[in-house]
Amino acid sequence: MKQDYSYVGKSVDRNDSYGKTTGHAQYTADLKFPGMLYGKLIRSTIAHGRIKSIDTSEAEKLNGVKAIITAKDVPSMKWGLSPARFDENIFCIDKVRYHGDKIGAVCAVDEETVYKALKLIKVEYEELPAVFTWQDAAKEGAPQIFEEYPGNLNTEIHHHFGDVDAALKDAYYVRTDKFQGQRTYHAFIENHASAAYWDGDRAFLYSSCQSVHYVQYHLCRVLGMKMGNLTVRQTNVGAGFGGKLDPTGLDFAAVILSKITGQPVKMWYDHAETFLNGRGRHPMTMELTTGVDKNGKILAHKFDCVLEGGAYTGLGIASSYYAGSLLGVLYLIDNYKFDCRRYVTNLPPCGAQRGHGQPQPRFAFEHHIDLVGEAIGVDPIDMRLINARKGNSITTAGYEVKSYNLVGANKMARDASGWTEKRGKMGVGRGIGVGNGGFVTGAGFCQYRTDYPHSVGMVKIFDDGTRAYVYSNAVDIGQGSDTVLMQMAAEAMGYPYERCQMVTGDTDLSTLDFGAYASRQTLMAGWAVKRAGAEVKKKVLAKACEMLKASGRIKEGFGYLDGPLTPEDLDCVEGIVFVKQEPAVKLTFEEVARKYFVDHGVLLGRGWYHPGKLGGNHKGAAVGTSPAYSSATQVAEVQVDMETGQIECVDTWDVHDSGTIINPKLFHGQVHGAFYMGVGETIWEEVKFDKKTGKLLNGNFAEYRLPTALDMPPVESLTLDDSYEPNGPYGLKEVGEGATTPTMGAVANAIYDAMGVSMTELPITYEKVWRALRDKKASGK
Amino acid sequence: MSSFVVDKDGIKRYAVTVNVNGSDYTKVIKANTLLVNLLRDDLDLTGTKRGCELGDCGCCTVMLDGNPVNACLVLAIDCDGREITTIEGIQDGEDLDIVQEKFIEHAGFQCGFCTPGMIVSSRALLNENPSPTEYEVREAIAGNLCRCTGYVNIVAAVLDAAENL
Amino acid sequence: MYLPDFEYYAPDSIAEACQLLSQFGAKAKVLAGGTDMVVKMKNELLAPEVVVSVKNLEQLKKIEYVAGKGVCVGALCTHNDLVKSDVLKERYPSVANAARQMANNQVRNRGTVGGNISNAVPSADLPPIFIALNATAKLVGTKGERTVAMEDLFTGPGKTVMAQDELIAEVFIPDQKMTGSNYIKFGLRKSGALAVVGVAVAVQVENGVIKDARVALGAVAATPVRAKKTEEFLKGKNATDDVLAEAGVIASGECKPISDIRASAEYRTDLVRIFTKRALRKAVDEGHV
Ligand SMILES: Cc1cc2nc3c(=O)[nH]c(=O)nc-3n(C[C@H](O)[C@H](O)[C@H](O)COP(=O)(O)OP(=O)(O)OC[C@H]3O[C@@H](n4cnc5c(N)ncnc54)[C@H](O)[C@@H]3O)c2cc1C
Ligand code: FES
Ligand code: FES
Repeated sequence: MKQDYSYVGKSVDRNDSYGKTTGHAQYTADLKFPGMLYGKLIRSTIAHGRIKSIDTSEAEKLNGVKAIITAKDVPSMKWGLSPARFDENIFCIDKVRYHGDKIGAVCAVDEETVYKALKLIKVEYEELPAVFTWQDAAKEGAPQIFEEYPGNLNTEIHHHFGDVDAALKDAYYVRTDKFQGQRTYHAFIENHASAAYWDGDRAFLYSSCQSVHYVQYHLCRVLGMKMGNLTVRQTNVGAGFGGKLDPTGLDFAAVILSKITGQPVKMWYDHAETFLNGRGRHPMTMELTTGVDKNGKILAHKFDCVLEGGAYTGLGIASSYYAGSLLGVLYLIDNYKFDCRRYVTNLPPCGAQRGHGQPQPRFAFEHHIDLVGEAIGVDPIDMRLINARKGNSITTAGYEVKSYNLVGANKMARDASGWTEKRGKMGVGRGIGVGNGGFVTGAGFCQYRTDYPHSVGMVKIFDDGTRAYVYSNAVDIGQGSDTVLMQMAAEAMGYPYERCQMVTGDTDLSTLDFGAYASRQTLMAGWAVKRAGAEVKKKVLAKACEMLKASGRIKEGFGYLDGPLTPEDLDCVEGIVFVKQEPAVKLTFEEVARKYFVDHGVLLGRGWYHPGKLGGNHKGAAVGTSPAYSSATQVAEVQVDMETGQIECVDTWDVHDSGTIINPKLFHGQVHGAFYMGVGETIWEEVKFDKKTGKLLNGNFAEYRLPTALDMPPVESLTLDDSYEPNGPYGLKEVGEGATTPTMGAVANAIYDAMGVSMTELPITYEKVWRALRDKKASGK
Repeated sequence: MSSFVVDKDGIKRYAVTVNVNGSDYTKVIKANTLLVNLLRDDLDLTGTKRGCELGDCGCCTVMLDGNPVNACLVLAIDCDGREITTIEGIQDGEDLDIVQEKFIEHAGFQCGFCTPGMIVSSRALLNENPSPTEYEVREAIAGNLCRCTGYVNIVAAVLDAAENL
Repeated sequence: MYLPDFEYYAPDSIAEACQLLSQFGAKAKVLAGGTDMVVKMKNELLAPEVVVSVKNLEQLKKIEYVAGKGVCVGALCTHNDLVKSDVLKERYPSVANAARQMANNQVRNRGTVGGNISNAVPSADLPPIFIALNATAKLVGTKGERTVAMEDLFTGPGKTVMAQDELIAEVFIPDQKMTGSNYIKFGLRKSGALAVVGVAVAVQVENGVIKDARVALGAVAATPVRAKKTEEFLKGKNATDDVLAEAGVIASGECKPISDIRASAEYRTDLVRIFTKRALRKAVDEGHV
């Protein structure tokens, strides 16, 4: 199935190399327009309360302040990323629901004046009691945060496949474990920013977001604008990881303020505000029960999960479903019960973060299954091999899985890491652990209801054939989607990659794509641009055939040709069109394209992608459907200081079953970054709030500790040579998010191997390890 | 002491001269202007980024008289008469610096937001220590946080650049 | 983020600087590297009306050995000046090493010795090792200069004995009888983390017997503190593992840590035990100060 390709499978340099290494690459905050104003949001200083009054008079008097807006100045229509739960307003109308909630916005002639104006705005509240944990939110008589969510219960899921109770009765061994995850956040280094201006009745918005389409859609819906009247554009985006998918208050406010003032307005968050914007990982409280036979084969599994959701829904419904929906893809589990609740609380909203909904349940399951294996004397990797799904199968929930080589990933990781020599054999303080994961390659459904294709692509060849423009609004947030999309388009056209250029980040000029989430772009936008490239190639070959015939260079019946020359006799590779049987007879793509332009005008290719109807009929089946599923195994080796509890992750291996790798260099970069986030969340990262006031405590990188270069271990990233996904263009499937999902389990299992105490609460901080070791000593075990 | 004018609110505005990437610039600024804002707003050198603004992330890293510092923590007026190298001053005309080339070759960046600071820190290290150990490379960039790459390809790029200086 | 407006002065001499501090009183603040002050101003914890930048006081940027007396470290030396100083590498590598564990490279290029001390944060990394080495600070004010032992300088979090018009001009580390010294910092990651506990020790060991010892603890009390009972206990003992372990236990009884966002008091107390033991072991074994 694998072929020799010109660009697919090659580590070509990223298309943004020059700009990003020289400082010339522009990000939203770098933009400057003539007459530009600067703006920020007004934020709540309490966690829960009714707004009694907002006094902006002092601020308005400040020299340089141009406009101040609050809820009364903007449309009151509710919005949200989950269509089932529109519960967010541009600015709070009646109540504020968390410390940092959006109350309004200010713009002024310079940044300093904006800060000074913000200080002069006085908001009076009638304070209401607040809740900061789901346990408090779920209590009888707890303060109600939304009328629409009685008991603060935001969503509830009950899935039951097979008969769990019966299967557990027959099991050789049954075990229940409890786990607690923490609230983390994306921690991209570029804070959100937006800039807007108007031209007549047309608005233009630059947003550092993950989907120009969703920003355009939601803003137009709430502001009552035609989508043709709002252009959403993008410069470079300083990463997102899920945190830039929801439109922000900045997007809305920039458009409205620039209309009111008639001047361009740039809005920005300070770093702490990116925490307040939230949408990071939900803390999950998890209980897992598994029954196995004596070989370790899973007979039944019960998963109970509660999510603390923060103040709004955002993508939280999908997060809840994802918590349980993909387990059955990884492992063969005929009897599976998933019960889940999501509560709203008075904290910034949680949402999607790399691996969406899955990493904490993966942590819990991967550690739990090690404990199960230990109890019945089965090696962790064997436990996984016995239960791993194989390709070309259908899950209990009805998802169709084509390529799937979790078995191969486990075996390769075992060999590469020296597992057999190391596991349980490295002495006290040193340990090795394994974890599995994987992800969807794009979701089966759009986030709102529409019959649009999920991705549309186009290729336009420049008049004289010297450049190919590849169109797609897939968003390159750093993962390198522009580069791999051009590689695929170039391959499909037979045109040099180096002469391709992306036209993207502009809802006017480029073509629809839903954006960077659910690891979807390489597959979905990949299909779209591949098909567009193929259409160009078809036209080029037809024109070349015509030219060759007219040139008299080809004589019918001449040697290798039976009949007249047809386009099927030609191919085009790397910019050369040639007769397949006689490659010396050739034309350049450029000359053919030029001739096409002379005869017909623009040489265009168009492509689109829709995943079609995918499996699963139960309620909520939409979350988890995908054209293709990746799988992955990671092994981590750690050193634990048995006195202080300090953990050092010393070495790691990742094997990702990712189909065809379009660009190995970028692929490995995804694995490294995914592991980085995973190990950070395992040991260091947690967003903290004051328990009494709900005020953010560590909204900075000093106390929200990302691993530094000194903390980060080397990562050996490996691939399976025979991995090929029939549903993906060129046989590809995802890597971006899937590689985050095994990490917490792998590292936690390594810590367990090192210290012999099971750590069930994230993050596994030095102090928690120290405490666990001390308690173990005290109990004399 | 630099000369100043007093504005109508009684605030002093100082004429400050800094040498940035080899050229002298004189700008009239308030004393509370941070170096990062002087570079970005007054000189349009937006390669120097603003991230955490508290000295923790390093995306604002520039060289001040050759030493990497966080431009978000330095008063512009304290730089009067001094030399600053920003990411825009790392390349030599149209030729990229070896560090830049190696970042490209190894894909030592993804979103690119940490990259200017990362490259400035790396270049400053190699200026001082042309053959660093891996530990020394990691130590030199430990004040440059990167959420995208896990530093793996960055460290490889800097070590490779050192070999090819 | 932004900084509030202030009046700015950059005096050319120490005398002029002190004069300005005296003239503006509590409204004025010295600015050295700014790595503390700018952060505090951005976080709205500080809003001085007058900022006296000491950037021009070149004479305070030197590290020198004064023959027969000791090492003199100018207050405006940056942390990286300490890391790279040949004088320190030769005579007090433990000081250079303490500096190397601070902050991150960019901050080490700006942050100064004087700022680290004057700031009087309990978790500051330099005071413990200076205390262990019996260092003194030279303070200069409008009324002249005085020398204060480093251990007597701090009176509480953010508080020192320094008068409003006084500057720290230099730190002096006297020639030692001590044969070994060491500072261990424990932070929650390997770089860019404030000390959860910092333990500095200096020991004089002869033929395996501890003749003298100084132990200073950071981040476990309102100020850096000396563990005097531990020091007393150590004197005259053989430097065996058991003895050093017991010294750790005693030291953990001498600290009064608080619980905060980074660590509990309980954890810190035990860390003092562990790192006192480890720091002593290293200082004894390495055999150089
Ligand atoms: C990211 C980051 C990480 C950090 N990590 C650490 C760490 O690991 N360990 C650590 O100990 N610190 C750390 N710090 C704090 C800080 O860098 C140090 O305390 C540094 O030494 C302060 O020096 P400075 O010159 O920057 O002080 P400044 O900010 O200029 O001044 C600090 C205070 O001291 C006063 N002052 C300064 N110099 C004098 C003088 N000569 N005489 C009298 N008063 C003076 C100032 O008025 C001010 O009140 C960190 C800071 C940052 C931003
Ligand atoms: S912006 Fe300066 S260190 Fe983060
Ligand atoms: S490349 Fe994105 S933060 Fe480093």
